[in-house]
This record gives sequence, C-alpha cells and structure tokens, in this order.
Amino acid sequence: MKSLRRFVARLFNFATRRAQEERLREEIAEHIALQTDENLRVGLPPIEARRQAMLKFGGVEAMKQDFRAERGLLFIENLMQDVRFAIRSLRRTSGLTAFVVITLALGIGMTSAMFSMVDALIFRPYPVPHPGGVVTLASTTHDSNLDNFSYREYLDIRDKTKSYEGVIANADMQAVGFSAEPGAPPRVRGGMMVSGNYFHVLAVEPRLGRGFREEEDQVSGRDAVVVLGPNFWKHEFSSDPGVLGRTIRLNGTDFTVIGVAPETFPGMLIFGQPDFYMPMAMARVFSTNLRKNFFEDRDDRELNVKARLKPGTTLQQARNELAVLARNFESEYPKFNRSRGAAVYTQFETRTREDLNWKFGVIFVILALAVLLVACTNVAGLLLSRARARTREIAIRLAIGAGRFRLIRLLLTESLILASLGGLAGIAIGYGIVEWFHSKDSIVFATDLPVAVPFRMDTRILLVSLGLSVLSALLCGLAPALQTTRADLVNGLKSADVDVPGRKRLWGRNVLVVAQVSISLMLLTASFLMARSFQHSLLEGTSFTKEHLLMVNFDPRLVHYNAVQTKQFYKLLAERARSAPGVLSEALTQNVPLGVFDDFEGIAFVPDGLQMPRDRENFTSTMDTVDEGYFQTMEIPILRGRGFLASDTADAPRVAVVNEQLAKHYWPSGDALGKRIRLDSPAGTPVEIVGVAQTIKYQSTFEKPMDFMYMPLAQHPAARMDLMLRSSGDPLQLVQSVKDIVHTLDPNLPMLRTTAYEDLYLNQAVKGPGIAIQMVGTMGAVGLLLAVAGLYGLVAYNVSRRTREIGIRMALGALSSDVLHLVMGKGLLLVGIGTVIGLAMGFAVEQLMNSMLFNAGGVDIVAYIIVVPLLFLITMLAAYVPARRASRIAPTQALRYE
Amino acid sequence: MKQKTDVLQGTLALMVLKTLDVLGPQHGYGMARRIEQISGDVLAVNQGTLYPVLLKLEQEGAVVSEWGASENNRRARFYRLTREGRKQLQVETQDWEQTAAIIARFFEVKTEDLS
Repeated sequence: MKSLRRFVARLFNFATRRAQEERLREEIAEHIALQTDENLRVGLPPIEARRQAMLKFGGVEAMKQDFRAERGLLFIENLMQDVRFAIRSLRRTSGLTAFVVITLALGIGMTSAMFSMVDALIFRPYPVPHPGGVVTLASTTHDSNLDNFSYREYLDIRDKTKSYEGVIANADMQAVGFSAEPGAPPRVRGGMMVSGNYFHVLAVEPRLGRGFREEEDQVSGRDAVVVLGPNFWKHEFSSDPGVLGRTIRLNGTDFTVIGVAPETFPGMLIFGQPDFYMPMAMARVFSTNLRKNFFEDRDDRELNVKARLKPGTTLQQARNELAVLARNFESEYPKFNRSRGAAVYTQFETRTREDLNWKFGVIFVILALAVLLVACTNVAGLLLSRARARTREIAIRLAIGAGRFRLIRLLLTESLILASLGGLAGIAIGYGIVEWFHSKDSIVFATDLPVAVPFRMDTRILLVSLGLSVLSALLCGLAPALQTTRADLVNGLKSADVDVPGRKRLWGRNVLVVAQVSISLMLLTASFLMARSFQHSLLEGTSFTKEHLLMVNFDPRLVHYNAVQTKQFYKLLAERARSAPGVLSEALTQNVPLGVFDDFEGIAFVPDGLQMPRDRENFTSTMDTVDEGYFQTMEIPILRGRGFLASDTADAPRVAVVNEQLAKHYWPSGDALGKRIRLDSPAGTPVEIVGVAQTIKYQSTFEKPMDFMYMPLAQHPAARMDLMLRSSGDPLQLVQSVKDIVHTLDPNLPMLRTTAYEDLYLNQAVKGPGIAIQMVGTMGAVGLLLAVAGLYGLVAYNVSRRTREIGIRMALGALSSDVLHLVMGKGLLLVGIGTVIGLAMGFAVEQLMNSMLFNAGGVDIVAYIIVVPLLFLITMLAAYVPARRASRIAPTQALRYE
Repeated sequence: MKQKTDVLQGTLALMVLKTLDVLGPQHGYGMARRIEQISGDVLAVNQGTLYPVLLKLEQEGAVVSEWGASENNRRARFYRLTREGRKQLQVETQDWEQTAAIIARFFEVKTEDLS
C-alpha cells in the first residue's frame, strides 16, 4: 500500500519535475542561508561562514541525485536523457546514421517481405474460427504421403470415426463454365465441390443466406444449389443482396444461389479463392474423369478430406483410429487399397508436406536472413569505428564517474534508435516488396481462375520486423558498447584513439571482416546457384514449339453432349480446322504443356512380363489424351517408333506413346518400343507402346523429369479439350475461322479461353519463375553490395587508424612499398580466411538446395571465379587508398595525426 | 557501504518523525540542527541527506509540507507530521525498541551463560 502510494506520488512528480527541482533549490538555498547566519552569529567571517555552511550541507549534486532517485521514475528519466542524447549525437554524424539506417532497412525489409511469404505458405492459420482444431486426413502410398480419398472412402471415414466433430471433403478447385443468365455465353470461373457439412463444420457463417444443408448432399443430382465466394459476389454481382434465389448456369446446368460466404472466409487454399462452392452430390456436372464413377469407384480419389477434432481428443487418438480404419480398408478392398495407409496432419504438417512452395519460402528466408546478417555486420563495424572515434569522450565520462552499465545503456540506446529507424524504413521496404508482388499478380497469373497472391503484411509480420530490428540493434550495438567501455582510461584521455596495433582488441574487427567476406560469398553462391538453376529449368525440357499456336478450349458438357456427340464434335472440329485457310497443322489435347491449372489424369498400369513387387498392385504415371496431330504440331520429337495415326481408332488395338523417362524407368536395359502394358492390373486391357517421345516439362517449370504417357483421343475419350492450331503468322488471325467452324457445328457451344499459346507460356512458365530469379538475384546483389561497402569501410578505417604508426615507420626509414606490403598483406590474409569459410558455407548451401529443390548440378565454379577476385580487389583497394595516403604524408604530420 | 547508508536512512527517517513529533512543524534546517544536537555525528557532514528522506516521508504520506516564513522572515518550507506519520512513528518506535532490546540482550550474554 505504502509502495503503491509512493509510486503514484512518483508518477505525479515525474510530470511536475521542473517545479520540484525549483523547490529543492530554494530549500537548499534557505538551508545554507540559515546555517550561514548561525555561523555568523558564532563569529566567523562572512566568506568562511558560508563555506562552512556549504561544507556541512555536503555534496549538493550527489544529494540532488538521491533526491531525484527518490522523487521520480529514475529509469524513465534516464531513458529520456539517453534518447535525447543519442538523437543529438546521431544527428551530428548524419551521413553515417543515414547509411546505417539504409543498410538495416534493406536487411529488415527483405527479411520481413520474405517472412510474409513463408507466413502465407506455412504459418497463417485457416480463416475459420478455432483453426487449430482443423486437421487434414490424407491417404498415403509408396509414392505420396498426401494423397486424396475417394467419395466412398470419405463416407466411411465420416461415419466410422469418433474423434471428430465433423469430417468434410472438397475436390480441387476446377474450371467451371459460368453464366450469370441462362442465355449468356459461359465464362470460365473457379468452382469447388464440397461436402454438405463443409461450412457447418468449419464454423463459417454465411454472410448472406445459408450454407448447404446435409440433405442437399445426399441425392446425386437433386439439389442444384450454389454458395458464392465473397469476392466473386462483389465483382460479378456488385454485392447485390438480391442474388439469393437467383439462377446461374454452371457447366450448362442451372443452379440456385442460396448463400454468400463471408469476407473473412476467402477459402481454405493458399493461392486460390474459389468463386463458388457446389455440393458434391452434383459431381456429375463437374467430375472431369469420364471413365470413373465419382460416387461408386473406391479408387476415384478426388477428395481432400479435413476434419475438426473433438475437444479433448488428442491428435494421437485420431491417428490411431484412422490407422485402424485404413487397415480395415486394406483387408476389405485389397484391389483398391493394397499398401495404402492413412495419416492425420496438423495444418503445419500439411503445408510442409504439400509441395515445393514452402521450401522456396524457407530458402528465401534463409537468404534474406543472410542479407540481414551482412547488414548487421556492416552496422556493427560502423558503430565500432564510431565508438572508437569517441574513445576520448567515453573515457571522460568514465573518469567523471559514469557507470559502465549506464554507458553501455547509452550506447545501446543509440543503436536501438538506429535500429528502430532502420526497422521503420525496413517495414516500408517490406510493404513495397509485397505491393510489388501484388502488382505482378495480374501478370503472373493471367488466368481465368481466381488466383490471389497471398502475401501480405499484417500485425504478425510487423511484430516479426520489429523483433528483427531489436535483435539487430543488440547484435550491432552490444559488442561495440562492451568494447568501448573497456577502454583504457589513461590512454583514452591522452589521445582520441587509443588503439595500438597488435592489441588483442583488434580481433573484433578482424572477425567482422572475415564474417563479411564469408557471408557475402555464401549469399552469392546461393543466389548464383538458384538463379542459374532457375534459368536452367526454364530452358530444359521446353524445346517444343510455343510460337504461332492458337489454343481454344472446349467443353461439350456445357451443352450436354453425350460421349458419342462429344466424339463426333471433336472429329469434325479437327477435320475442318485442319483444312481451314492459314492453318499449317492442328492438334487436340486435354492439356497443354505448362498451362495454367492443367488437369492431368493419372493412369495405373502394369508392364507386361514384369514381376510386380509383392506390396504393389500397379504403377502409376501422369498422362495426357492427344490426337494424331499433337506431336507434329507441338514439335515434340518422337525418338523411336511413331506418334499416333488416324488408324488408331476406337476399334483398333490400344496403343500408347511413353516419354523417354518412363521408358528408361521400366525398361532400363531394353527398348520400350513394342512392349505391352496392362491398365490397372495384370489382367487389364493390353496397350502396346508404339512410340517413345522426348521428355519435356508437363506441369511446372521446376518439376524434375517425370514419367509420362500419351493416349490417343479416339481410344481414350475426354470431354474438355484444347484445340491447337499452328499458323505461319499471328495465331490470333485464325480465331475467326475457328469461330465460323464452331458455329456451323453447334452455335451454342462456347469457345472457352481463346489465346495464343505463347502468351500463356510466357506468363505461366517464364514470368513467374522470372520473378523468383529477380528476387534471388536482388538478394544476392544487395548482399554483395552491402558486404562490399562494409568491407571497404572496415578495411579502410583499420588502415587509416594506423596513420600514426605508418608515419613512425616512414620516419624510421621504411619505404612506402614496405608499408603497402604490410597493410595489404593483413587485409588479404583476412579476405583469404573469409573466402575459405565462405566457400565451405557455400558448398553446404549448395548441397542443401540441391537436396531440397532440384539438382542444379555440381559446384558453380563461375560464381567463384567472378566473386573471389572481386572481393580481393575491393579489399586491396580499401587497404591501398588510405595506406598510400598515409605513406605520402610527412612523418611530422602523421605523428600529430589523430 | 550501501548497507550502512540503508541503516542510516532508516534511522534518519525515524529521527525526523520523532523530531517533528516533539517540536511540531519545522523546516529542514531546524530538523538538521535538532538531530545534530542530539545524535552528534549522524548529520555532521551531510545535512543534505535529510532532504531525500523528507521527500520519501512526504511521498509515503507521513509528513506534509508547505511554504511558510522562517524566524528571520525568509521563505522556508515547513514539514508537519500527519496522523499517518504519527502512527508510523509509534509502530517504528516499538519496532526499534524491540530490536534494540534484543540486540542489547545479545550483547549481555556471556560465554558462561550458554554453557
């Protein structure tokens, strides 16, 4: 109670401290006056009387200190003093301050931008209430630990598990033909099939209307209802609340809008925001796989299953339960579930298993942290030099009784202010980078599907940035502060600069030089390697034609064609397009290489005559359905055998073309040509391999060479196809002829996504990775620039501080060449050590990146050949310039030089 | 060193309270004189140390102060004991007497008394 009262009084005093100071002065004056009067009365002479009075009163300043300490919040007062002092002294050296702030800002800005990326890819929780309880259930196989479940499997999981409040499922977001009015031509939008309990289990309250009811997901094809995504509602319907109850047409079927998801729920995906959600019971309208029955086939695995854990149920319990269920599946349905397990993942586990994205993120953050480290080393070096120059000031402060702790606090306050300024500027830079991403948004993802750049600055990123600032302040400021206050008082008072060469204290700066060299070398190695392997990825496996190709997407399901009609349509379309004026060649394909949101089918097969491993039913490969013009039109070389022919009709023996990767994979010694495979199982339909095509990139620029198989359209029908037409000139000139052809075939059939393939390819496969290359390159360049600037400053400073020593040496008869030799030898030694460490670290990073991302091949010699000499050159220059100057000035001057 | 100051400060506060209790409202110099007269050397060199103690007591609410005129008609700050201060004085006096008594008894004890 008493202490609380004291605290309140102190707070009050803190506010009124000026008046208090005045009062104390008056009281002291009064006290001394009274004592002087007394002394006068006992007969002392006036001057002596006053002197005695003051002696008796004791040390006024020390008392005042006590008084102040008693009076107010000493800590805050001192802090404010420190801050004022620090700002004053930083202002005095504004050039250096600016440099330090910019350096830190670059480091912090890059790191926070990169962290915002990793945050989006890994850490940001699902946009639902209590996101921690939402887990992902995955099917696991030899090849994948994050496989999907089939509809039947989902139902079993939903009904037979007890660990969850609810189990939900969704298919991948897919291209859906959307028209707002039944009559309007359809446009491609992104829709997602979800289970009826999706919104309910995720606890997402629709902003308008309602979510799905459970019964709307029970009868196949009965309830054509749709829930709109918030952005889609805003852009497509201008946030019109009257949209409820309206009919929209999806893939040619009328759906009733029943609700709109809230702004807070952009969806569960990282990159995509579904435009609308449909119940899974409507799968017939959306399912892409014509050969499988979504509702019945246990191996039609299209569903991503998530669940909300019951409170009190542990992850381990859920895992055990699902493992038992997976074993039951295995024994009940050996045909579909042999050696197939199941796993429960938390959000973090899911994201770190999902794909390469997070690995990229992690590598970027490591690079950014390296930049930050370089920045900090720079700043530490600068602050150290600055502190050196203030040796005398510090020595005087120590001499008149400032405590070491107080001085260290003062110096730390300075670096904290620097770091805060740097942090603020860094946040601005981070914002800039994130905004830049957003501005690239439309370029990178030129697609009809709703793709969003998920990186953004939020409070968590800001906190991280601020944390980084404080960390860097401590990192940069502590060592100089400690060193400075350890200075030798006597020497410090005698000269402005106490350093005597050869003293132990020098090693601090030497370590900085070595660290600069090695980190920048590592950074450079990493960015060189990444940039080079990106470039490599861009070139490799992309030798097919991209120019003069028009692509038009068709989906006859939109006008309710059956299989026969579809087949007939494509047959006629191909024939007429081939003979249209200006068309050099024609192709139909289900997917284009490196297209946007391609939907490659998988195919299960057993090579004839191959002994299957005991725990495997079949092998799988990705595949594409193409017509006989494909290889020629795309200029994908057939290495052996043949491509497809018009004679490969539905009635002819089944044939396939495999890529070289697959051929080598399964027939490493012999030729795959003429070999047979059977679909699904050893008893399945036989298919003969009639050709081996060159391996290209199929899905993404960064993929490793993968197994791939082509099937002829006539034998393996598909609904959604791309027509590719090669022209001699601008491919878009062919659009009108295609329009005419389609019009004669069926005026109602929409032409979806009509573009030049080259545009699509550039956007998808070149510009996106290009941004990654730019980012890595920028980080490498900034890191090197900072390191070089820091290195130069540090070495030059070290040498210039030896001016006096050099003067003495010259006075004693040393030649300037001796001096240069001496000074530069030292610098080169340091750079040499740094280089060795940097090379070792660089190798380690290369190993890491090769194992994480892609094998970019061995060590990048070129990078070293460029960078190492550069660093040596800069060090030599940095040592040479001040040494030269020092060796030229007259010894008398040098001796006086401070 | 530090400890000595602490003890000194503690006793000084008690002396101040007692002085104010006996003499009524006083200014700093008056208290210093009085304490000096009675205790001799506690304040011999360092009359100034009185002021932080006064401030502490004031912040605790044991004393209040206001400006007034000193005997030779100067402006001086007078300190007066509050009710709380009186209570504090009582408590601390008791404490002090108890402590002193215990310490005194310890000093009286001789080796043979314990055997």
